[in-house]
Amino acid sequence: MPDHWGFVAAAYGLALVVFGGYWRWLGQKERELAALKRSDPPSRTSPLRSEPASRPTRP
Amino acid sequence: MVRVLGWFAVVAVVAGLAMGFGVAPREATQGNVQRIMYLHVPAVWVAYLAFIVGFVASIAYLARRRNGADHLAHAACEVGTLFLGVNIATGAIWGKPTWGTWWTWDARLTSVAVVFVMFLAYLLLRQAVEDPERSARYAAVLGIVAALNIPLVHFSVYWWRTLHQPPSLLKPGSSSMPGSILTALLVNFAALALLGAYFVARRTRVLADEAEAIA
Repeated sequence: MPDHWGFVAAAYGLALVVFGGYWRWLGQKERELAALKRSDPPSRTSPLRSEPASRPTRP
Repeated sequence: MVRVLGWFAVVAVVAGLAMGFGVAPREATQGNVQRIMYLHVPAVWVAYLAFIVGFVASIAYLARRRNGADHLAHAACEVGTLFLGVNIATGAIWGKPTWGTWWTWDARLTSVAVVFVMFLAYLLLRQAVEDPERSARYAAVLGIVAALNIPLVHFSVYWWRTLHQPPSLLKPGSSSMPGSILTALLVNFAALALLGAYFVARRTRVLADEAEAIA
């Protein structure tokens, strides 16, 4: 039977693309989350944000 | 720790490729196209393992409602689906030169396709339900039901007449494989199992971080 190296290359190439793609996608998710953590605004925990009662009220 | 696991997985995959292409001999009947087996068979074993982890974690979530169990179940089922997809695709690529067809609706291929579609539905369900608690609960039930089909896939080659060959290794009695082919297969299984474990660990951490960011 002929060796069909093309089919072997297609199978391993496909696996490389799928697993490599998933690896990269995980890395991208981690970077996005890290960026989100870094850019988490200090105003979120700042007392200024959650004090509407202290704002001057309009007549 | 997770990073170290990743490096182990990379080294093991390189060793697996060396075993599959360098050490294992050319198969007498099929020729070199049989080397697809070193990817195709371990991929489904890793998928089975991941689905079993997902099954146990789903039961744990339903019992105790811990988010960690839900994240582990989600990650394991996602990684299992990835490996099962690779198994189905490489099986089709292997089937064309050996059977003369990419796909046939025999019992093994049909049952594995059903499981694959069920886990795709699991992942879609995760996206579709917005409430995290309901999403986790529904997904846990579907993950358990889908994993219960794995024995059906494995034993389909015994219960029905199929084009697919019966298992060479996961069966009662000793293996009928020559030693060098068996060793290459087991090394590749270890390599893909490490890769799968690495993906599950990393994805679980990402899911936990995402949940924390949303909260």
